[in-house]
Amino acid sequence: MLAILAALLYLCCSQRLKGAFSTGMNILVCVKQVPDSADTISVSEDSSRIMYNDGTVFRLNRYDEFALEEALLVKECFPGSRVDAISVGPERVRQAVRKALETGADHGIHVRVESDEYVSPLTRASLIAGFARTRGYDLILTGIMAEDDMECQVGQILAEKLSFACATSVMFQEISGDEKTIYVEREIEGGVRECITLAMPALLTIQSGINTPRYPSLSNVMRARSQEIEVADPQPADSLSMERSIIGLGYPKDAGTGEFLEGTPSDKARELLGILHELSMI
Amino acid sequence: MKRSFNIIALHCDGKILPETYELFNFVRDMGGETITFIILGSEPHVLMMARELAEKTGTDVICATSKYLENYYAQGYRDVLKGLVSTTDPCFICIPHTASGYDFAPLLAAALNIPCITAIEDIQDSLFIRSMFGGRIRAQARPSAPSAVLTVQPGAWEGSADYSGPGGTVRILPVDIPPGKTVIHGFKKSLSHDVGFCDAEVIVSAGRGIGSEQNVTLIKRLAALFPRSAIGATRAVCDLGWLGYRHQIGITGNTVSPRLYIACGISGAVQHISGMKNSRIIVAINTDRHAAIFRTATYCIVEDIKTFIPLVLEEYSRRSGNPVNGSS
Ligand SMILES: Cc1cc2nc3c(=O)[nH]c(=O)nc-3n(C[C@H](O)[C@H](O)[C@H](O)COP(=O)(O)OP(=O)(O)OC[C@H]3O[C@@H](n4cnc5c(N)ncnc54)[C@H](O)[C@@H]3O)c2cc1C
Repeated sequence: MLAILAALLYLCCSQRLKGAFSTGMNILVCVKQVPDSADTISVSEDSSRIMYNDGTVFRLNRYDEFALEEALLVKECFPGSRVDAISVGPERVRQAVRKALETGADHGIHVRVESDEYVSPLTRASLIAGFARTRGYDLILTGIMAEDDMECQVGQILAEKLSFACATSVMFQEISGDEKTIYVEREIEGGVRECITLAMPALLTIQSGINTPRYPSLSNVMRARSQEIEVADPQPADSLSMERSIIGLGYPKDAGTGEFLEGTPSDKARELLGILHELSMI
Repeated sequence: MKRSFNIIALHCDGKILPETYELFNFVRDMGGETITFIILGSEPHVLMMARELAEKTGTDVICATSKYLENYYAQGYRDVLKGLVSTTDPCFICIPHTASGYDFAPLLAAALNIPCITAIEDIQDSLFIRSMFGGRIRAQARPSAPSAVLTVQPGAWEGSADYSGPGGTVRILPVDIPPGKTVIHGFKKSLSHDVGFCDAEVIVSAGRGIGSEQNVTLIKRLAALFPRSAIGATRAVCDLGWLGYRHQIGITGNTVSPRLYIACGISGAVQHISGMKNSRIIVAINTDRHAAIFRTATYCIVEDIKTFIPLVLEEYSRRSGNPVNGSS
């Protein structure tokens, strides 16, 4: 009897099953779909938008893959947890939500935006907030940055709109046994981490390298195939929400001062060795 | 209309970060007329820093003090600045785009219900210029409201303060903030003894474009041509586990400045560039002619790493008459 009690006590205290008696965490992961490679995109003639071509392959923003993995790890620690994945965008972003389901998310949400134009972080965050406000999330995770727009904003604005505590560049997190607080290590410059504890509910933006994202399992892929994706029609939470400060797109003007080596690959190899020799590097 | 600017000074270990002075030059570039620095911290250190700012720039400084502000934390900065900014009524609130800066800048903007433009690199025709898609696309931005929060990419403006006139004033403002719900435990230094970057004359670095872990061998064989070389990597390569984080170069990794830097399959994201841009000679090898790395490189080679490095090795052994071996 005592042994069983001790074992139970141990289980409760151990990190893996910290939430053994909890009802689990209600987690939202924000995922964005981005083009796989920047060399299949161009700027429209009127400079207003990014054009994709037939060769454009879309995938999940890599930082969001780390966020999704972290959510799944929390779920494994706190049995009974649920992971929702949400994406804002045109029809094509359903693929990103589907990918999150295949990877292990329980439920997918698509916030529909009709056109394939740039959507500002404020608008994006307002749309997600409009959805998330009534869903009682304990934890929201996003990637630190979207690889396409590179703005580092959606997570923080979302946290502010929902009055969640917020930390960015997260490389480690641990939710306390009573589920009231979360310990976080943020990566800052120069190999230093800032260590803080936030009150829950909290929003974390996840930095790459925090974990090793898993591949979809066959059973999840099968499940995701037939799973319904919830469609949420936009409900911007306030007037500024259709904000847009980016007014034009283009290509970098400054070409740099570098010299392109020309000729056949062998010519270039010879020329490179010649240059290195002249510099007395070899 | 008079354009007034607030610059939020960031500091660490009792020292003002150089990015704060870069912002000063950014604001002067914009023709800022009324400039006020705001610095948050705990006494006594913050007072010294506030005085330094006022002296080095001739600009007035608001110094908000509280014992809870000894270390940076997002919610504290947001709350205090929200209060202060409403009294100074600036058009632009300028913040360095550092790990602390981009942590709280969007929070502050959202709390004030104004737009936020991040990672500004340049100003052209009165528009802010920022990178998208890893530097392949440049966006022009103009705030959609009369006032906005701006974050500025570190290193985009000069950081030296060449001012020698009379100092600005310092206004000390004790602020009353509740302890808040954030507990700050301090800092943790990750023990990253690097891979001998200091001694290396040549650094050969791998990016995701090398394609697979096996191809790290190619990088090592190329590095082995040079007597004092080291292997570097982008964060992407370390995240993939192809090389350890000790090899990482960039804003969250090592900063290097060897005589020769060879970037193999590296796109040239600003976070990587900031860790290697002071290298004397930069050779970049990339299949994409428009890759951002070519704007920083001295010699640009549009080739596939997988075929080009073997060619270089072959050519080298043909010249020297020695077969090149595969170790490093
Ligand atoms: C807060 C923050 C901090 C960061 N800190 C760092 C940091 O310290 N260091 C760092 O490196 N990154 C850092 N990053 C990540 C950075 O933004 C980039 O994502 C990363 O540098 C990209 O690495 P990459 O160039 O290897 O990969 P990619 O951007 O994927 O580029 C791969 C390149 O390889 C080329 N290529 C593909 N195939 C071939 C081939 N066969 N031959 C030749 N070329 C080929 C492609 O054209 C492309 O240009 C940070 C990001 C954030 C948000």
